[in-house]
Amino acid sequence: MSDNNKTVVDIDRSVYDIKDVENEQDFYRMEDGFTEDIVRKISEEKHDPEWMKEFRLNSLKLYNELEMPDWGPDTDELDMNLISSYVRSKTDMKGKWEDVPEDIKNTFERLGIPEAERESLAGVGAQYDSELVYHNVKDEVADQGVVYTDMESALTGEYADMVHEYFMKLVPPTDHKYAALHGAVWSGGSFVYVPKGVKVDIPLQSYFRLNAAGAGQFEHTLIIVDEGADLHFIEGCSAPKYNVANLHAGCVELFVKKNARLRYSTIENWSKNMYNLNTKRALVEEGARMEWVSGSFGSHTSYLYPMTILKGDHSTMEYTGITFAGKGQNLDTGAKVVHQGKYTSSLISTKSISKSGGIGTYRSSVIINKEAKHAKTSVSCDSLMLDSISRADTIPGMDIRTDDADVGHEAKIGRISDEAVFYLMSRGLSEEDARAMIVSGFANPVSKELPLEYAVEMNNLIKLEMSGG
Amino acid sequence: MSEQSLLQVSGLSSAVEDLPILHDINLTIKAGETHVLMGPNGAGKSTLGYTLMGNPHYKVTGGSIIFDGQDITNDSPDKRAKAGMFLSFQNPLEVPGISLGSFIRNAYHEQTGKPVKLLQYKKQLAEAMDLLTMDGSYADRDLNVGFSGGEKKKAEILQMLMLNPKLAILDETDSGLDVDAVRTVSKGIQEYQKKKDGALLIITHSTKILEALHVDYTHVLVKGHIVTTGDGSLVEEINEHGFEKYVRCEGCDGCSPLK
Amino acid sequence: MDLKMKVNHLPALTYRFLKSNDSEIDLKDINIEDTVSPDPEDVPSGVTVEKNVSEADVAKLFQAAKDKIKSKDKGLAGPNGDTFPLNKGQIIRSGMGIEVDNLMDEMKVLSTVITAGEGVKATEPIHIRYSLADGDCTLGRQVICAKKDSEITVIMEYDSEAEANGLLGISTRLLAEEGAKINLIKVQMLSEKQVHFDDIGGVVDDRADIDVITMQLGAGKTWHGCCVNLLGKNSVFNNHTGYLCRHEQTYDMNYIADQYGEKTESNMVFRGVLLDKAEKTFRGTLDFKAGSSGSVGDEQEDTLLLSPDVINRTVPVILCQEEDVDGRHGATIGQLGDDTLFYMQSRGIDEDSAKKLMIRARMESIARMIPDEAIIVRIQQFIRTIL
Repeated sequence: MSDNNKTVVDIDRSVYDIKDVENEQDFYRMEDGFTEDIVRKISEEKHDPEWMKEFRLNSLKLYNELEMPDWGPDTDELDMNLISSYVRSKTDMKGKWEDVPEDIKNTFERLGIPEAERESLAGVGAQYDSELVYHNVKDEVADQGVVYTDMESALTGEYADMVHEYFMKLVPPTDHKYAALHGAVWSGGSFVYVPKGVKVDIPLQSYFRLNAAGAGQFEHTLIIVDEGADLHFIEGCSAPKYNVANLHAGCVELFVKKNARLRYSTIENWSKNMYNLNTKRALVEEGARMEWVSGSFGSHTSYLYPMTILKGDHSTMEYTGITFAGKGQNLDTGAKVVHQGKYTSSLISTKSISKSGGIGTYRSSVIINKEAKHAKTSVSCDSLMLDSISRADTIPGMDIRTDDADVGHEAKIGRISDEAVFYLMSRGLSEEDARAMIVSGFANPVSKELPLEYAVEMNNLIKLEMSGG
Repeated sequence: MSEQSLLQVSGLSSAVEDLPILHDINLTIKAGETHVLMGPNGAGKSTLGYTLMGNPHYKVTGGSIIFDGQDITNDSPDKRAKAGMFLSFQNPLEVPGISLGSFIRNAYHEQTGKPVKLLQYKKQLAEAMDLLTMDGSYADRDLNVGFSGGEKKKAEILQMLMLNPKLAILDETDSGLDVDAVRTVSKGIQEYQKKKDGALLIITHSTKILEALHVDYTHVLVKGHIVTTGDGSLVEEINEHGFEKYVRCEGCDGCSPLK
Repeated sequence: MDLKMKVNHLPALTYRFLKSNDSEIDLKDINIEDTVSPDPEDVPSGVTVEKNVSEADVAKLFQAAKDKIKSKDKGLAGPNGDTFPLNKGQIIRSGMGIEVDNLMDEMKVLSTVITAGEGVKATEPIHIRYSLADGDCTLGRQVICAKKDSEITVIMEYDSEAEANGLLGISTRLLAEEGAKINLIKVQMLSEKQVHFDDIGGVVDDRADIDVITMQLGAGKTWHGCCVNLLGKNSVFNNHTGYLCRHEQTYDMNYIADQYGEKTESNMVFRGVLLDKAEKTFRGTLDFKAGSSGSVGDEQEDTLLLSPDVINRTVPVILCQEEDVDGRHGATIGQLGDDTLFYMQSRGIDEDSAKKLMIRARMESIARMIPDEAIIVRIQQFIRTIL
């Protein structure tokens, strides 16, 4: 095989990289760094209720006390003193696309966001830097009693008590340093409530865009799917590439009530200067089901391990993920699950691809508590190395506390086999196409879980990666 | 009934994970008799074998199983085995670390509760292996580990001969075997038949293995129902015409649930 | 003296809450009195035994290997949470890590070096037996060196008086030169009142082979580490570990195959049973270094859990910096399967007996690989007494 064909290029990200020159008069930008003064200012700016102001200040204290983890990717180059916690366009949130300011609208239209809404979504939220600029729910979905709004409105509106009850209860600021930071400076994000028994047939979508250089995005997503209800939520993320570090420390809290189902799909395509230190967690009650579909393509550095707590008996989870680590990227991703209820089951299946010096790490934990009788778990992680200057590491951990559990684990690492390439070439494919086809096939279990337009996008990304040219 | 039957199955129904498979099965086997259970794929033949032996995956949803005068419907499989029932598996278990010989000795000990007389046991084992054209070295190999399909089946028949049950249920013992192997396994079964009281329930969908065996009764199972019962000649008829007419429900006495 | 050391570092750290990143040995008021290895027995001709060898001399033995490892270091970044630098000062990387070396050095433990001369095929095993009396606290160090194209088998057996208190700490380093083969067997049947640690570090050169068989059956607390550096082209590491933990026994292990050379091969099998309130932590790492093209690695763990009160931690790691490799890990953890139980029961073996049979089968499947009938019988007896 010629070396030529082994060279792989970076994804053509030009569409994501178009930056909008931010006119200073149009934007409010908090000074860089994270101090008590800054947190107070954010709280004031956002008209927080009193409890939230206290919450922020306590979280900031924790942030200063907690240590960085010693196990993950290096974050030494992330200088927190150079990150702005809050950047807001001087525009209110709009309910009509036409009303969104022209420059912001252009950005989203280039990314195909309103288009997607028109076609196949029940509702769309779009966040630009620190605040939501657009939110809309289809009438028929709203009529079913489904609430889909920005967190700020939820905090003071009709659902204020519910937000107070659930906010950062699943991911407390004590959880880790960046959860604490999130608690202190969070801004934006969505609140979703699906009432009992309501099945939302088409997905809701949030799109996050971080446009400002050296800014942090700290959106908070809180979803409550009440008993017997059903929801598919999609989030997409992107940012243009800057030469300075950007930080994303969002937090997602999902409550899946008795016999409900929630599917949470993410396509993360942050630019490669992003530190993505995101925390996602789901609490799953009796007979309920949590499904995660996760594609990680972007970011400079990622710490991302969606966690599922199978609290209720007969609750289940399924995690399907793919991570594509290219040049300059250190993507440390995976999943965590805790089995508490009886007859709970978890299925984790991940694919990881490393190329051009990228570091891809699959990291997971499966905990089966003593009470979780008849628990069943199956973990399968495959890694594919596309060259010998990259890294692919697999670090799964398990802690089993009952004999009455059925635990299966499988990990594989390998390369594209010469035989497979030869076979496809013997059927007339070029070597390049053969390799691309094999990588697509490798990623197929994940792409088939994605909505069509995302699956197509993912396959395009893979083809671009593999085309060598 | 003047002569007591060994196995009396009455109105037996069973299900796997709430899916009903067997419906109202009635079957009587007397000591020394050889019964054949035939039927197309998916009819529930193996399910009947498992249900009789008490596989926990197969839940009895109705009826009863009386074996040697005892109601064993709710007994654990080891109790059934100790009572004299034997099931040869289609896919027997592989156990690294326990040799075939040592496993049979263990089972023998558990069933009889008596210490095994080593010399006599070894002689008996050697004879039985010889009959099944199994190389003596198999006794020292790990139970079924690395055995071919044919060797596994022979190892099952070997266990049957050594444990000497009152009723042996042979589940598709002939499937996947070549002509020679079928002949050898058949020889093992004949040896078992020679014992006056050894009863057999042979589950099969082909007739090859039956050629050299005396058959007293033949039952045809379709969609979980025994649709007809005849003598040994029914095997011949099925051999020629297949199950077609039973599936279409012709000539079937009393299988109304088939509609 | 008090003994406090951190051992068994996971090569790449992970979440702290899993409590598997390392393990601490913390012992108070121990009195280490014996630091001499017992004389190896049944030493065949062609094999030499040198006692009381200093660390400086051991370092010389491993110097060539050390240089070779250095030459293969391409200066690439390690995995996230890399703990390799922690143990850089070791003569040769071991599973438990540098703190075992430090303890041995501090207690002035000298090594017994067993060497098979070039081309010598010593087929009969050499025996080293530690038999501890109540109160014995013993440390021992061995180096097993197989010169070019030689073969050597060493069986180390640890036992003690029933109910004997004490400590046994062992460090064994292995050097298999080009084309050589080392078979190392360790059988541990200490009393449950014993604390035990056993550390192995090995180097395998071109076409050479290290085979390790370990049976961990006794001791109240056991730490066990084994790191083999597959340095040479076509070098091989085979490992089989069988363990049985019951009552409140703990067993903490760290296995690492560092695959440097081209076409290296590692096969690791772990088969164990946990009963009562036993606690086990398994770390097993395949590390495919840059340049290890054509290498394969396989790690299989099979754990039978037979009590609701056991704790089973498992961290199977694969690290990879080379495209052309094939690495695999599989784990099956749980109680006796329904199908297994049904088969056993259908032959008249009740649940309790089936469990015992399966425990014996697991231990037996590893034990029978030991080329010494008498030891196999002793293992069988030990297990029978336990059950």
